[in-house]
Amino acid sequence: MKRFLSITLALTMSMTMLTACAQKPAESQPASSAAETSSAASKPVTITHWYWADNSDYSAKMQEMVKDFNATNKSNITVVAQEYPWDGGAYSENLFTAAMGGGGPDTAAWKLTSTPLFTSNKLLANLDNYIANWKDKDDIDPSLYNTMKQAGGSDSIYVMPWNTQVLYVYYRPSMFKAAGVSVPKTYDEFLEACKKLTRDTDGDGKIDVYGFGMRGAKGGQEPWGSFVWARGGDFENLTTPEAIAGMQDFIDLYKNGYAPKTAPTDGFNEIIANFKSGKTAMTIHHIGSSKDMVKTFGDDVAAFPFPAGKKQWTSMGDTENVIFEKCQNKDAAFEWLAYLATGKGQETWCVTTGNVPVSKRVQQMDEFQNNEFMKVSIEGQFSAGIFPILDTTTEWINTTWPNTVASALSGKTSAADAMKTLQEGLYGKK
Amino acid sequence: MRESKNKTLKIFTLYLPLLVLLVFLLFPFYWTLVTSLKPEQELYGSTVTYWPMHTTFDSYHKLFVDFNFLKPMSNSFVVAIITTILSLAVSVLAAYAFSRYRFKGRKAFMMLFLTNNMFPTVLLLIPLYSIMRNIGILYTPMSLVLSYTTFTIPFSVWLLNGYLNDLPMSLEEAALVDGCNRAKAFLRIILPILIPCLVATGVYIFMTSWNEYTFAVMFTNEANRTIPVALKNLIGQLGVQWDLLTAGGIITIIPVCIMFFFAQKRLVEGLTAGAVKG
Amino acid sequence: MGSQLKNIAAPDFKEVIGLLHKKTTIWPYLLIAPALIVILAVVFVPAVNAILMSFQSYDLRRPSQIGFIGLENYMEVFQDSLFWSSLVRTALWVIFGVGFQFIFGFILALLLNRKFKGRGIARSISLIPWVTPGVLIGLMWRWIYDGSYGVLNDILLRLHLIQDKIPYLAQESTSFPSVVVTIIWQGIPFFALMLMAGLQGVPNELYEAADIDGANKLQQLFRVTIPSIKNTIYVTTLLRIIWVANSVDVIFNMTGGGPAYSSQTLSVYIFNKANSLNLGYSSAMSILLTLLLLLVAVPYLKNMFKNQEA
Repeated sequence: MKRFLSITLALTMSMTMLTACAQKPAESQPASSAAETSSAASKPVTITHWYWADNSDYSAKMQEMVKDFNATNKSNITVVAQEYPWDGGAYSENLFTAAMGGGGPDTAAWKLTSTPLFTSNKLLANLDNYIANWKDKDDIDPSLYNTMKQAGGSDSIYVMPWNTQVLYVYYRPSMFKAAGVSVPKTYDEFLEACKKLTRDTDGDGKIDVYGFGMRGAKGGQEPWGSFVWARGGDFENLTTPEAIAGMQDFIDLYKNGYAPKTAPTDGFNEIIANFKSGKTAMTIHHIGSSKDMVKTFGDDVAAFPFPAGKKQWTSMGDTENVIFEKCQNKDAAFEWLAYLATGKGQETWCVTTGNVPVSKRVQQMDEFQNNEFMKVSIEGQFSAGIFPILDTTTEWINTTWPNTVASALSGKTSAADAMKTLQEGLYGKK
Repeated sequence: MRESKNKTLKIFTLYLPLLVLLVFLLFPFYWTLVTSLKPEQELYGSTVTYWPMHTTFDSYHKLFVDFNFLKPMSNSFVVAIITTILSLAVSVLAAYAFSRYRFKGRKAFMMLFLTNNMFPTVLLLIPLYSIMRNIGILYTPMSLVLSYTTFTIPFSVWLLNGYLNDLPMSLEEAALVDGCNRAKAFLRIILPILIPCLVATGVYIFMTSWNEYTFAVMFTNEANRTIPVALKNLIGQLGVQWDLLTAGGIITIIPVCIMFFFAQKRLVEGLTAGAVKG
Repeated sequence: MGSQLKNIAAPDFKEVIGLLHKKTTIWPYLLIAPALIVILAVVFVPAVNAILMSFQSYDLRRPSQIGFIGLENYMEVFQDSLFWSSLVRTALWVIFGVGFQFIFGFILALLLNRKFKGRGIARSISLIPWVTPGVLIGLMWRWIYDGSYGVLNDILLRLHLIQDKIPYLAQESTSFPSVVVTIIWQGIPFFALMLMAGLQGVPNELYEAADIDGANKLQQLFRVTIPSIKNTIYVTTLLRIIWVANSVDVIFNMTGGGPAYSSQTLSVYIFNKANSLNLGYSSAMSILLTLLLLLVAVPYLKNMFKNQEA
C-alpha cells in the first residue's frame, strides 16, 4: 500500500511539473486559441477550418477557395483549412475527440447525422441570430433550414447548409435495349427490370450482367430506404408489414441472383466499379459520381429517380458547415460559412463536385440547368428525405444496419426478425 | 559427388522453403506495385492481368509534384527515428535492471509494463488529446514521439529483457570479478553482444511508429502529417484512389527496405564483436 | 579481452556482491525510472479515467445521463451474446494468428540465419509485410480477395481449384479465415526478425558439442537452439499475443467485423462501441479483455520467473 501511495505521489508530481513547464509554448497551436479580442473588422483574424476531400482534385479546389476568400474578404479574415481523412465517417469522430479534448477547429465541414452528439455536448454555436440578420437568408430554401433544425433536435439552427445530393438510379441504356426493358415508371416495373436485366450474355451458363448493383455494406441503408417506403413503410416503425415487405424485396433481389454475390460487403467502391465494368445494369448513387460515369460511358449512361410504389422516398445526402462554440470570432467564422453557402464558394464548389447547390441563385446557373443528372436530382428532390437523426443513428448506420442486413441476405435471419433488430437498434428495446 | 548431394539437400532444406515463404510474403507487395501501374479501366477489367498492358507512372508523378509526398515521408522519418532512439535508450536501461538485479517490486513493475499495452488505445484518446494540448505539444512531432514511446517502451523492455536473460551471465560475472564496475561491464561486454537484439528491437519500434494511424490523425495537422494519414486522405466518400494509394504505398515501403538492408548486417555482428569466442 | 579489463577501474565490491548475492541497491530503481516516468506520465490519468468510466453510465451521446451505476455495465456485457461470440473469435484469432505467425516466422528465421548468396536482400524484403502501412494492408488484401476482380479467385480459377468465383469477405463462412490469413502474413516478419536476433546469441560451441554427440539437425534444433532462446521465444509470443488480441486495423479495414458480425473480435467490438461513444460499455469490455490477457500471461510469467530464479 505504502509503495502504491508513493508511486502515485511521484506520478502526480511529475505530471504537474510536466504540465507547468510546458504551458508556455501552448500558443503554437494554430489559431484555434487565437486572439482574445472580439472581432473588430480591421483586426486580423484567423479561422481554422477542417474538411475532408473526396478526391485529390477536391482537395486542391478547397485550398483554392480558401485563397480566394482570404484575398477577397473585407474583414481581414485569414482562413487556414486543414484536411482530415474521411476514413469511412470517422472524420466526425476525430472532430468530436478534438472538440471534447478542448481543441479542434473554429469551423468544420459537416454531416447532419453527427449533429445530436455535438449539440448535446454543447460544442456547436447557435446560428439563429446570424441567420436572422443575414442578407442572403432567403437565397436558401426554408425547408432546408427546417431539416437543419430537425437534425439538431431543437428549434435552433446549428448547421449551415452547403450542398446536397439526391440519390437516384443510374442505368445503362444499351443494356436496357438489349434486354428489351424500358425505363421503369413504377416500383413493380423496377423490380421486374432488375430481373430482366440479369443475363448471361456470352452463353457460358454464368451470369455476366446483374440487374441491380446492391450496396450491402455501410452506407447501403440509403438506397435500401427507398424499398421500405415503396412498399408503404416508413422509418417511424420498421416493423410494419409494409416495411417488412420492402425488406423482403431487397432480400429477394439478392437471393434470386439479381444482384452480385458480393453485395453484403459491397460499398461505394464496389457498386461503382461493378457498374463501370458493365457487371451491373443499374445502381443507386448521387450526382457526385456522374462525371466519372460520363467519362467511362459517354452517352451510354443515364439516370431516373427511384420510382414510386405505394409511396416514394429517396435519400438526400448532405454536406454542411458548422461553427464551434469555443470559436472566438464567430462573426468572422459566419462570414466564411456564408461565402461557402451563397457566395463565390458555393459556385466554385458545386461546379467542381457536381453537387446540388443550396443557393437558389447558383441553382439558376447554366451549368446546373443544362445538366441531365442535375435535372434528375432536382426531379427527385421532392421525394428526398433523411433518416431519423437520433443519438443512435451513427452506430445504427455503422454497425447495426450492415450486419443485420448481411445476416438477412444470407438467409440466417428472416425479414421480420431483421426489421425488429433494426427497429430496436434505432429506437431502443421496448 | 558429395558436393552435388549437398546442393540438392540445400535446395530442399533452404531454397525451396524460403522461396515458398517469400512468395507468400511478397505477393501482396507485387500486387500493390502492379496496381499502382495500371490505368483504372484495367483494374476493373474482365480479365485479371499480371503485368499492366499499359504502364502508367502518372500516379508517381502526381504524388511527388502535386502532393509533395516527400513531406509526410520526412515527417514520418523524423518521428520514427526520434522515437526509436529514445525508446531504445530508455528501454535498455530498464531491461538491464530487470534482468540483472533482483529488487523489491521487480515483478510488479514488469507486470505494470505489460499491462500498459493490453488496454485498447481508442479509450485513451480523448484524455490523451487533452494532455497533449495542455502541455503544449499538440500538432508538433513531439506529441507523436511521446505517445509512441509510451507504447513502444514496455514492449521493448520486455523484448530486451528476454534477450538479456538468454545471454550467458558468466562473461559479465568474470568481468566483475576482474574488477570492472557494472557500467563498464555493461558497455564493454553486454552492449556489443546485444547489438543484434538492439537492431531487432529498434526495427520493431521504428515500424510501430512508422505505421501508426490513430494517434497520428489526432495529434498532427497539415504541417506535420505522417504517411498513414496522408495515405488515408486519398480515400474519400467517392471511393479509393487506387493509383495514388498504391503508388504511395510503394514509395513508403522501398526506402525502409533499403534502410533495413544496411541495418541487417549488424544482426550477425553481435557475437564476433562481443568476442565471446575469444 | 579479459586481461584488458583487469587494468581498468578499482574493484567495486558492493556491486559484485549485489550481483552475486542479489542484494538490493537503489540502482535498479534509477535504471527503470525514465521508462516508468514516460509511461505513467502519459497513460496513468487516461487509464484511471477509463477504469472509472467502466463503472459509469458513460455514453457521450447522452451526456446528461452520465453517472455511477456500479457493476451494471459488466452485467450487461455478460448478457450480451455479441460479447461472447466475439470473445470466442478472439481466442481463435490469437491461437491461429499467433500460432502460424510463430511457426512460419521461426522457419524463416532459421532459413535466413544460414549463409547463402543474397541473404541480405532476402532478409530485407522478407520484412515488407511489416513495413506496409496498416491502412494499405487492409485495402490490398481486400483487393486480392475481391469477389469480382480479385487476383486470388483468378489464380484459383486458372489452377482449376475452384469452378466459380468466391466472394471471400462477403460470406460468413469465409470472411474470418480470410482475415486470419492476413494477420498471419503481417506477423511472420516480426517473429522472423526477433528470433533471428535471438539466434545470434547461441554460442557455436553448443552446436559443435552436439555434433560430436552425433545429434542430427532436427535434434539439434530441439536440444540446442530452442532451449538457448527459450526466453526470447517466451517473450516474443507473449508480446505478440497481446498485440494480436488488441489489433483492430486489419479486420476493421477489411470487413469492419462483418458480414453479420462473423469476423468481429472483441477488440473490434470494443473499437466499434468506443467509436459510437458508448465509452462506459466499451471500457467495461476493455477491462475484461485486459484481465483475460493477464490470465493468459500468468502461467507464462510464472514459468519465466521460475526459470530466472533457477
